[in-house]
Amino acid sequence: MNLPGTLRHPRAPRLGGLAALIAAAWILPYQVGGYAIHVVNIALVFALLAIGMGLAMGIAGQINLAQVAFFGVSAYATAILTTHSGLGFWPAAALAMVASALIGLLVGIPALRMQSHYLGIVTLGLALGFINWTTNAEIAGGAEGISAIPVPPMFGIDLTSEYLYYYLEVVVFALALAFGLFVVRTGLGRRLKAMRDDPLAAGAVGAEIPLLRMTAFMLSSVFGGIAGVLYVGLIRYIAPETFNIANMFLLLAMVVIGGRQSLVGCVVGAIGLTLIREQLVDHPTVAQLGFGIVVVIMVVFAPTGLAGVPARVRAAVDRRRGRSADRAELRPFQPYEPAEQDARTTEETDAGAAAESVAPMLEVREVSKQFRGLKALDGVSVTVARGEIRGIVGPNGSGKTTLFNVISGFYKASGGRVVLDGRTVTGARPYRLSMLGVARTFQNLRLFGEMSVKDNLLVALDRSRTAASWRYVLWPVGVLRREHRLNEQADALLARFGLTEFAGAAPGSLPYGIQRRIEIARAMAGSPRLLLLDEPAAGLNGEEVRQLAEIVRSIRGSGVTVVLIEHNMGLVMSLCERVTVLAGGVVIAEGTPDEVVGDPAVIEAYLGDSAMAEMPLPTTTEVSP
Amino acid sequence: MQVFLQTLIGGLSLGAIYALVAMGFSLVYRTMGLVNFAHADVLMIGAYAASTFYMSTKLPFAVAMVLSIALTGLIGLFIERVLRPLENKDFTLMLIGTIGFGMVLQAVAVLIWGATGHAVDNPVQAAPIELFGLRVRTYDLVVLLIVAVAVVLLVGFLQRTKRGAAMQAVAMDHEAATAVGIHVGRSNAIAFAIGAGLAALAGGLVGPLLYVNPTMGGAIGIKGFAAAMLGGCGNIPGAIVGGLAIGVLDSFAAGHFQGYSELVVFLVFTVIIMIKPLGLFGEMTVSRA
Amino acid sequence: MFNLSRVRLSALAAGALTACLATACGAPGESEESGSGGSGPIKIAVVNAQSGQLSSLGKWEHKGVKLAVDEWNKAGGINGRKIQLDVFDDQGDPTVGTNIARKIASQKYIAMLGTAESAVTIAMAPVLRQYEIPNIASGQSPGMVALKSPYLFLNGPTSTTYDETLAKHLVDTEKMKKVALITNNGAYGKGEHDAFAKALGDRGLKPVADEVVTIDQKDFSAQLTKIRQARPEVIFLGAEEVESGLIVKQARDLGITAPFAGAAPQGTPVFLDTAGAENAEGTIVSSPYLSNDISEDAKKFAAAYQAAFNEEAEMHGAKAYDGAQIMLTALKNSNVATGRKLADAIRAVRHQGLLGDFVYDETGVGIKATSIGVIKGGKLVKAEG
Repeated sequence: MNLPGTLRHPRAPRLGGLAALIAAAWILPYQVGGYAIHVVNIALVFALLAIGMGLAMGIAGQINLAQVAFFGVSAYATAILTTHSGLGFWPAAALAMVASALIGLLVGIPALRMQSHYLGIVTLGLALGFINWTTNAEIAGGAEGISAIPVPPMFGIDLTSEYLYYYLEVVVFALALAFGLFVVRTGLGRRLKAMRDDPLAAGAVGAEIPLLRMTAFMLSSVFGGIAGVLYVGLIRYIAPETFNIANMFLLLAMVVIGGRQSLVGCVVGAIGLTLIREQLVDHPTVAQLGFGIVVVIMVVFAPTGLAGVPARVRAAVDRRRGRSADRAELRPFQPYEPAEQDARTTEETDAGAAAESVAPMLEVREVSKQFRGLKALDGVSVTVARGEIRGIVGPNGSGKTTLFNVISGFYKASGGRVVLDGRTVTGARPYRLSMLGVARTFQNLRLFGEMSVKDNLLVALDRSRTAASWRYVLWPVGVLRREHRLNEQADALLARFGLTEFAGAAPGSLPYGIQRRIEIARAMAGSPRLLLLDEPAAGLNGEEVRQLAEIVRSIRGSGVTVVLIEHNMGLVMSLCERVTVLAGGVVIAEGTPDEVVGDPAVIEAYLGDSAMAEMPLPTTTEVSP
Repeated sequence: MQVFLQTLIGGLSLGAIYALVAMGFSLVYRTMGLVNFAHADVLMIGAYAASTFYMSTKLPFAVAMVLSIALTGLIGLFIERVLRPLENKDFTLMLIGTIGFGMVLQAVAVLIWGATGHAVDNPVQAAPIELFGLRVRTYDLVVLLIVAVAVVLLVGFLQRTKRGAAMQAVAMDHEAATAVGIHVGRSNAIAFAIGAGLAALAGGLVGPLLYVNPTMGGAIGIKGFAAAMLGGCGNIPGAIVGGLAIGVLDSFAAGHFQGYSELVVFLVFTVIIMIKPLGLFGEMTVSRA
Repeated sequence: MFNLSRVRLSALAAGALTACLATACGAPGESEESGSGGSGPIKIAVVNAQSGQLSSLGKWEHKGVKLAVDEWNKAGGINGRKIQLDVFDDQGDPTVGTNIARKIASQKYIAMLGTAESAVTIAMAPVLRQYEIPNIASGQSPGMVALKSPYLFLNGPTSTTYDETLAKHLVDTEKMKKVALITNNGAYGKGEHDAFAKALGDRGLKPVADEVVTIDQKDFSAQLTKIRQARPEVIFLGAEEVESGLIVKQARDLGITAPFAGAAPQGTPVFLDTAGAENAEGTIVSSPYLSNDISEDAKKFAAAYQAAFNEEAEMHGAKAYDGAQIMLTALKNSNVATGRKLADAIRAVRHQGLLGDFVYDETGVGIKATSIGVIKGGKLVKAEG
């Protein structure tokens, strides 16, 4: 948690720290022996691997047990290209990097269709397959491996000296780490983290989940590739044994102990464990026992690893001193500027009339959704006019959320069509719909829990495509400029929703009402045309409900069409122009709030419940079929 | 034809073992949504325990097996207890935690039994049965029988007993299960203990077929995992089919692709899983929005 | 908190920088220390797997070496200097081997004994060559010879010798015509496959079946059934101890009655235990050291081994013992030379060892003969005829 005082460090000590690190890295070889520098060189290779692993597992939340295989692919490619094809070391290394990035993409393909736990086994299996290939293939030298790999040339510098090789490694490592941090702290990294924290919500704010997963694996494999090239240049010999599963698990231990969500933590873990392992080289079993125990302790007591310890200590100290974010205050919402042309259409409350002149914002035609014999939706048709506030009500289990899920692309409808502003979008992925201007909130809050409030908004504000990530490599300045712009937008959005003082807070630590507001702000960050609110008043007190009504009206006033599911009939009655009633997956009534409340079918549907206006707030989540 | 059938028999005999591994794995997965990477190493401990009781203390094989299952059941309870704070919160962390436990179990096995392992005498001395030029080891038949009994007992437990029904409920919706007064923690603990027991059963049975050493879990475990996924994680009959399928696939791949068999097995597996991400009999789990 | 640590770091760096400038930054590296060239103990490294699956092999090797060194130390060492023997655990992993090679170089060991794993030795060889550290290895892969390193020697024959002798016995003496091969794809199995297939080819024979298994394979029914259909008179087995045992056990279960033939691993107790003595009966083994009562020297060695370690000596210990004797003799002959001179001294040693008479040539191989044994009643005995 960033309290205002610690949010910005003065620039000078930061540069001082960096200079100190550079100086330390520079003089290190003068202080240690020939073998020690070898160990340091190995540690740096592991550190690079760990960064890649951290990117996939810690930042993007994709379990990747194939990291040693990425490492191996580039190491083997370099070895084969230099010894068999007679290529120079650096051209071979460049091709090897390409090969390992391609393999990364290839391994990422299963990630498109699989839950992450499955992914663990699939990636592990592919890693085993790779070892199996190297053991057999004539070209890879079989189990005896490839020796006599040439020394990388470097403008006449003799890289057989491990001391000089160290400098090469340090420079590459520093660049790679800087690039990694650059990615993590800007748009792409935020989107990866959002996917980690909640892939559904990330999709709803426009993150292209499949592409992002592939990107995560590719980033991971590129770092593995760099490590492989450096490793081959250092050892100049490779054998399948180096890329075995035990080393994979060791790497995992490094990343978990160091802190998988922090690249610096991964580096600390990698270097630390390599050095410890070296100390225990005559007692490998003891080392394994120790690492295993520490991993277990870490996941249970310090899931953020060593990197998370300072933050936890700070939080504990703050708690003891009674300091917290309590001082921060929720400011009032600042209404949107009403939009001129849309104000006209809002006057036309007759949906039929609107449909004749302009296409309605949303048209759901005969949509059905079936879950193994259970019909959650059965031929539902709803038409929402531009600029309308539509209420959707119905008893628990009547299919309201299912309808939202179909509209926002989370479920594929079993039948029927969804038309958005005259354009058929049935079956489109959530991120596509987000791009087309559909935003939503969730019944049981889906904020990105491990990101700050501001980052939550930034993810949704950033409308650039993942495919535009080439700019990270070719035009980083563009990325930085964009960051600057997004930051300004985020600050404005925070101010509008009165959230400025919570910008740095973790959403989970905030009161429920504020979290609800953050979620609406996040939905609005994408400048949607259609906003779907799933029980936005659930858990709010009277005053908060009043504020919510004000916010929703203002949003509509700015030209956004709003559909909300709500049990709080008071809110529905006061806010919505029209109300659609669902029961058992079919529309049983539609009309103005007053018409609907008087409808006998509606009353029957709610029979057993108390009067509609006194509907208790749902305590448990609606059971999806 | 003879090669084909004999290969099939070989595949099925090891497939039965994979099925047992997959079953334990599936049981834990369905109850708590956890991919238990320590499973393979629990199997190894089970194999060591069973073979040590059987060979060193000269206990009858069946008694040694029961003792070993009880012992690993306790290990399962212990693992579950340690990881309990993470249950239903962070599955990735739990998964990593089980990998940590796997490392610990291997190291412990090396410290107790040494790194090199030992061979186990076959408790069934009868000669192989010969049928139309095909030979079936009697021990394989015993293994198949035990696996079948284990399946019947497990399914019976899950469907006919109150405890089992409670576990089913937890598997379906742990929040709702809590709401109707089921102790989710206890249910998870039992699932873990039974899973560990099944691993020990597989380990004990595989000992006389193979060779017991601290790293034996790796190769059997990962194929067991693959089997569980192939059958649809959490699906008990699926685990059986998946286990036999992986065994047979493995066996035929060895015959056709020789040294490359492992690569082929994992590629085929990956392709199948990509086409059917939920396995052959997987249940669709609805992600709640 | 952050600021504080940064300030501290800066101070640290500044301090370190001054320290560095004070010592007048030269090229990085170690200052030359005196190695074990002059006085003090003679440092010899033993590198072998002490942990993991292959540790039994590594431990046997270590015992053989230790026995030899203890004898020499008891007799007063070399030129009055004690011999210091230190063990390094390569875990059977070539990469760990390359680390150890650098370690023993930086710690000024003048010679190395081991490893039993050819792949590890091959990985270490370039580093040892760079630092001029002579190495007597225990593997048998022709790959080591192919390196042509003047610092690399073997303490036994190569696979070529093992398998040539075996092929000669099987084809020329026993007149067998139908030979099947089953080998694994590891370094050892691959080397055996190539060497034996070549020996067969030289005799104009093609194997009736040639099956390759993986190192981790558990079920061999597919490959063994194919072999069964080919009805071989003998099956050549190229795999490590445990896997060989499993293959033999499963082959007998499948009704294959033909004997197996192989090299060193098939003569070990681990193989016998895994296969079961009954199943292994009749296995033909090509080995340079068939048993402890093959000669008077062997009996003496076996007795000393038994006394020192309280267990029965076997081939790997004997090979390592021979290797250590050769190394120590060379050190004595050369007046504790190092580097190239020591390597030349090793090449000049003529040693009557347990395995036979060692005469090294430029390939680094000192002995080129094995004998044929057969497992009978759970024991390896010399083959008749």
